[in-house]
Amino acid sequence: MDDLIQLDALGPSGAFRARKRLTVTDVTGVPVAELSIVPKLFVTRAMKALHGAESLPAEERIARLARAGRIFADDVIDGLTFDQYERTVARVSGVPLSVVRDATAAIVDSAEKSGWAAYRAQPVGAVGDWRSDETRSGSAVWTRKGSVFAVHAAGNHPGPHSLWLEALALGYRIAVRPSRREPFTPHRLVTALRAAGFGEDQVVLLPTDHDAADEILALADLGLVYGGDEVVKKYSGSTVLPQGPGRSKILVTADADWRDHLDTIVDSISHQGGVACINATTVLVDGDPGPLAEAIAERLATIPSLPPEDEKAVLAVQPVESARAIERFLLARAAGTKAWLGGDGVVEELGDGSAVLRPAVHQLDRHDAEQASVELPFPCVWVAPWSPEAGVAPLRGSLVLTVFTEDDRLVDRLLDEPSISNVYRGDHPTYWIRPGVPHDGYLGEFLMRTKTVIRD
Amino acid sequence: MSTAADPVLDLPFDVQPDPEEYLSAAMRWHFSPETGSPFWLERADSLGFDPLTDIRSWADLARFPNLANELRFARVEDLIPRGYGERPDVVGIYESGGTTGAPKRIVLLRDWLDKLLGWSSAQLDGHGVPKDVNWLIVAPNGPHMVGDVIKQQTAHRGGLSFTVDLDPRWVKKLIGDGKAAEAGAYAEHIVDQVAFALETQDIGVLMCTPPVLERIARRDDLAKLVNEKVRAINWVGTQMDPDTRHLYRTEVFPNAVLYSGYGSTMILGNASERHGLTDDDPCIYDPYSPYMSFGAVDPKTGETVEYGQRGQVVMHHVSKSLLMPNNLERDYGTRLPGLPGQIGDSVADIAPVQEFDNETVIEGVY
Repeated sequence: MDDLIQLDALGPSGAFRARKRLTVTDVTGVPVAELSIVPKLFVTRAMKALHGAESLPAEERIARLARAGRIFADDVIDGLTFDQYERTVARVSGVPLSVVRDATAAIVDSAEKSGWAAYRAQPVGAVGDWRSDETRSGSAVWTRKGSVFAVHAAGNHPGPHSLWLEALALGYRIAVRPSRREPFTPHRLVTALRAAGFGEDQVVLLPTDHDAADEILALADLGLVYGGDEVVKKYSGSTVLPQGPGRSKILVTADADWRDHLDTIVDSISHQGGVACINATTVLVDGDPGPLAEAIAERLATIPSLPPEDEKAVLAVQPVESARAIERFLLARAAGTKAWLGGDGVVEELGDGSAVLRPAVHQLDRHDAEQASVELPFPCVWVAPWSPEAGVAPLRGSLVLTVFTEDDRLVDRLLDEPSISNVYRGDHPTYWIRPGVPHDGYLGEFLMRTKTVIRD
Repeated sequence: MSTAADPVLDLPFDVQPDPEEYLSAAMRWHFSPETGSPFWLERADSLGFDPLTDIRSWADLARFPNLANELRFARVEDLIPRGYGERPDVVGIYESGGTTGAPKRIVLLRDWLDKLLGWSSAQLDGHGVPKDVNWLIVAPNGPHMVGDVIKQQTAHRGGLSFTVDLDPRWVKKLIGDGKAAEAGAYAEHIVDQVAFALETQDIGVLMCTPPVLERIARRDDLAKLVNEKVRAINWVGTQMDPDTRHLYRTEVFPNAVLYSGYGSTMILGNASERHGLTDDDPCIYDPYSPYMSFGAVDPKTGETVEYGQRGQVVMHHVSKSLLMPNNLERDYGTRLPGLPGQIGDSVADIAPVQEFDNETVIEGVY
């Protein structure tokens, strides 16, 4: 299989083609690439090299990040033009091409702006450098909590890779463990960063099996992992920041009419193929949820089923086997709810071994029905009744909450709720995001601390 | 008073017996009332065949039941062939299988050890392992066999032995109880002891397990000492993946010969990996034929797997000191043709059963 794309590990002494390689296939099962899987010894040595390195000065790293963004977008990397790379990501991850393009554009944008964006988290009382005049009379200085940051990347969507660029901007040396499902984006990004002047001891790509993956986190000062509830539970309060389920929601109170916001609601559910944590999982409405569920179902039903690389594709695609597994899971969990769409199943086979995951809309009879928290990687929404008496409780545990209401007090309460990460009021879809605003708090809040410096 | 054995059972280590002639002599020895062990003589009647007449070829060894489990309670005196007389030269009693239940015991007799040392020492010469150097042996000592045998081998090759004991049963108990941190602390304790010996003594050969070697590599000062002093590293006990091996050879310990050993207490011996293999070759072990022989079977059917396929490793030992055919090992390996003239197969890429992890994540978007 010489024609397969070779995704080497990117270690402290350059690219490493391992003997142990994992075949990365597209959604139809056709091999596309071979990913080198490095052993623990490689990880240990790479992490040691990161610890032994010195970070670049702030201006230099920010300039190189911007340059890396342009290389990422303009150069042929791993034998792929940017366009070929995006198509490959779509074919492998099943994420629709247009969504991949949005995500990669966001990565480029983020590389351009990460210097600025990362420092948005700096406390107003602090300065970024002890050499600033402010420290002569005593000032807080924003400093790193550690030097080496490890990322266990997610494979659902290329977007999250824009986040760790901020850590690089803040002067961390970084080890990225790519997802085995979609290793192309981090491989391209790390390659671009190196081409832009980041040393091999500044950022490494360590594709590994599970055993060595833990080693990456254990040997880093701080880490970032993506995963489900168990991952969140395992790492809460540790030196590893878990990025858990999104369970993003939409709330429509009685003083708003959902008919005026149907576009935003439907878009929040289906944009990005429903694969992201910022897609709406649950829609709560004060009043009868039936008509809203029906309207959502009507809209979502018209989305065509297309292969992911099709320019018009909206829905995510998976290998038939995994699509069927998700479908079985959904049908089991949805028992007892009222299906407006997808009640008989959500899988539409494309005939080439892959299948589209079509939308599902289910109506719940209570706001606290257990299904409301079931988040799946396709447009799958639970529409439930809400009342002011139910209060904030049904909205807890939301990465993003879009709320349509005239009630300022309610917005106050939603913002005060610690388990709601972001509150969007009005016609702003749950997936709205841009550099400089936090996704789940600023990463800088986790990576940095203040120290007081006073000097003569 | 020793009963005379067929001379074919007492050949020097480097003289190859005629395999069939050797096999019949061994059957006569183990199943004659004057020379056989009480263990085998007691079981001879229940075999359902006559070893003296029905075991004609090496393939016939498959007719023997796997009696390894009976070694968990057999008196060790009963394992010694009567032909060794009243004062057999016993080197030691060794155990295997103690982590999965009651240990199995076996007797190591001098004449077999001498033969094994002659052969395995020649294997080390083939790898370019220097003679007349001291060994640091980080391996289990009693009740395990490996530490003692390597000590004897070091003496045989003209060096002194430094030993750091490693208790695999305790480590497995800790891991089984979910005490990974304690297991890690124990491993560090081992490495601390390794450090004292490396810092103060002339160590030419290091023998240890891959996890210990990894911890040594992690400490810059120790890795430096290994690179300065150690000429050969012998790893045993678990598998090492080819990429790790390659990294050791090219980046971490480029000055040392790195080779592995694989064996079993139940066959009283081990084989070094075939010398001359490149980093891209499978790690092949050729047994000391005809005394030790290997095979690989499908665990479900017991049938021998095809060459190049993976199967559960089966080992036989046929020597004057012990008959232990059909010992099914816990490991899996790739079955490969043996070297010319070798009885049975060679095996490669030894590893425990579970080799791949299966990722199935349903709920959630990541």
